Amino acid sequence: MNKIEIGNIQAEYTDKNGTFLALKNVSFAVREGEFVSIIGSSGCGKSTLLGILQGIISPTSGNAFIDGQPITGPGTNRAAVFQHYSLFPWMTVRKNIAFGLKQAKKDLTRNERYETANIFLKKVGLTGFEHKYPFQLSGGMQQRAAIARALAMDTDILLMDEPFGAIDAKNRSNMQELLLTLWEGDGRSKKKTVVFVTHDIDEAIFLSDRIIMLSNSPGQIAAEFDVHFPRPRIHSTIRETGEYINLRNKLMALFYDENTGVAATEEYAI
Amino acid sequence: MKWILKRLPIVPNALFIALLLTGLLPDKTYRIADHPSYTVGLAIALEVLLLAISFLVKKESLRHIFTDVLGIIFAFLIFWILATIKFDLPGNAKQAVFPPPGAVLEKFTMDFGQTLTNIKDSLALIFHGYLIAVLTAIPLGLFLGWNVRIGAAAGYIAKFLGSISPIVYIPYAIVLLPTFRAASVFVIVIASFWPILASTMSGVLNVEKRIIDSAKTLCVGRFTMLFRIILPASLPQIFIGCNQGLSISFILLVSAEMIGARSGLGYFVNNYANFGNYTTALAGVITIGIVVTVITFLFNLLQRFLLRWKQA
Repeated sequence: MNKIEIGNIQAEYTDKNGTFLALKNVSFAVREGEFVSIIGSSGCGKSTLLGILQGIISPTSGNAFIDGQPITGPGTNRAAVFQHYSLFPWMTVRKNIAFGLKQAKKDLTRNERYETANIFLKKVGLTGFEHKYPFQLSGGMQQRAAIARALAMDTDILLMDEPFGAIDAKNRSNMQELLLTLWEGDGRSKKKTVVFVTHDIDEAIFLSDRIIMLSNSPGQIAAEFDVHFPRPRIHSTIRETGEYINLRNKLMALFYDENTGVAATEEYAI
Repeated sequence: MKWILKRLPIVPNALFIALLLTGLLPDKTYRIADHPSYTVGLAIALEVLLLAISFLVKKESLRHIFTDVLGIIFAFLIFWILATIKFDLPGNAKQAVFPPPGAVLEKFTMDFGQTLTNIKDSLALIFHGYLIAVLTAIPLGLFLGWNVRIGAAAGYIAKFLGSISPIVYIPYAIVLLPTFRAASVFVIVIASFWPILASTMSGVLNVEKRIIDSAKTLCVGRFTMLFRIILPASLPQIFIGCNQGLSISFILLVSAEMIGARSGLGYFVNNYANFGNYTTALAGVITIGIVVTVITFLFNLLQRFLLRWKQA
């Protein structure tokens, strides 16, 4: 069953240089429990697309549905993780999670919220950091706390906008494995539907069931790929396989073809 | 021994000795009774404080602030003594306006009980007015800053109204408000209201957009957005206006207490200055200075506590 349906979305963006088209004729669907990555270079409109799903950006035309209902604004059936400022700097880590819980589940008492927060902090390995403020944590720890908040809210859908974009390579692999472990859970409970925006091809392959590639200005769907590696996945075992290298080469070729020049300079700038 | 010498700040201690020696110079003018013993007493008290700080305060930067301030006080006292009693300067013909430090200190000590009452009354007045300003300007600023369109117009109106000296309002306040006390409070309210409103509005306008997006995805309601997201996010900016408001409140204390007050530091200074008793008036001015310093210190502690989540 389709959890998310996007039909013929157009999104215009206006700044001081005028109006331009960020997204053009974008249509796709995400099945319940599916992990979909949207990949594309900077400025291809992938964050706009996620913003539409989050309900904080309205498309110029087209339809966006969740569970068959049109998206009219933010909702507590979705939790978001951003690259920066997912957490509120003036709240401690635990308060941040408790705040998210309060918004998502109105009937919890204060103590229940704090207990749930502690459980999820433990899951992301942040026990002992409950009373730290975000600025006292490393970038990776902040993102783990943000993921803990999103998971604690126990929403059907997880919308992630380059959550590991500002984390160094080694920590990034660990975070990706942690995210998959938490998403797969104990195998008994229902998996969350995830839409994950990134410009990192390896990240997209490792995490996703399916990859949607957007081309540049205006953002259009350039290609879709199914990713069939068995789960649970571990970096060291997947990276070596011929299937991985094949898929990666295909994506790379398309990535540089679709984003001639732009993506290449971006890659080398990092 | 070496450690002791290293910890002793040279210049402030030298200034202390110079201050004592200055007192030994022959006096040139005698129109006002000086009380040199008070000056010496103060100098010794400050020197004891200087030595205590030199050896007890561990943090070097903090120690330097204290010892430097004390050194400057010593230098100022030397200048004050020389200018008022040790040289026959032309201005000293009007010595009532330039009393020597000993005379001022004597008045300060003699009136100390009255001074405490004045401090209490003035602080009550300022606290009253300032609290009203904070409790009205911050919510209004949040509202105006959040509603971009009305906020743009309000920004100009606030600039216009804020440029009017609160003293202008005094006659109207006296006529319109039921008591003199209310009129005094009103002056303080007006004085601190504008800077707090302006800084709150600019604070709201400068809140990181990604924080607001993050809050939106959590489906926060209007009230929560304003008071649990926008308010704390703009608090660093709001504090700038609150600081300014506090300073202006103290500057206008004298004006506020001109309206029918019977006590208070501003009333005290104004009253004695009007009767030409500048010795007592100066003692009052110094008291105001000390009170402002202490309040500013406490205010900074509060600010540091409320903004403890911010990277230094």
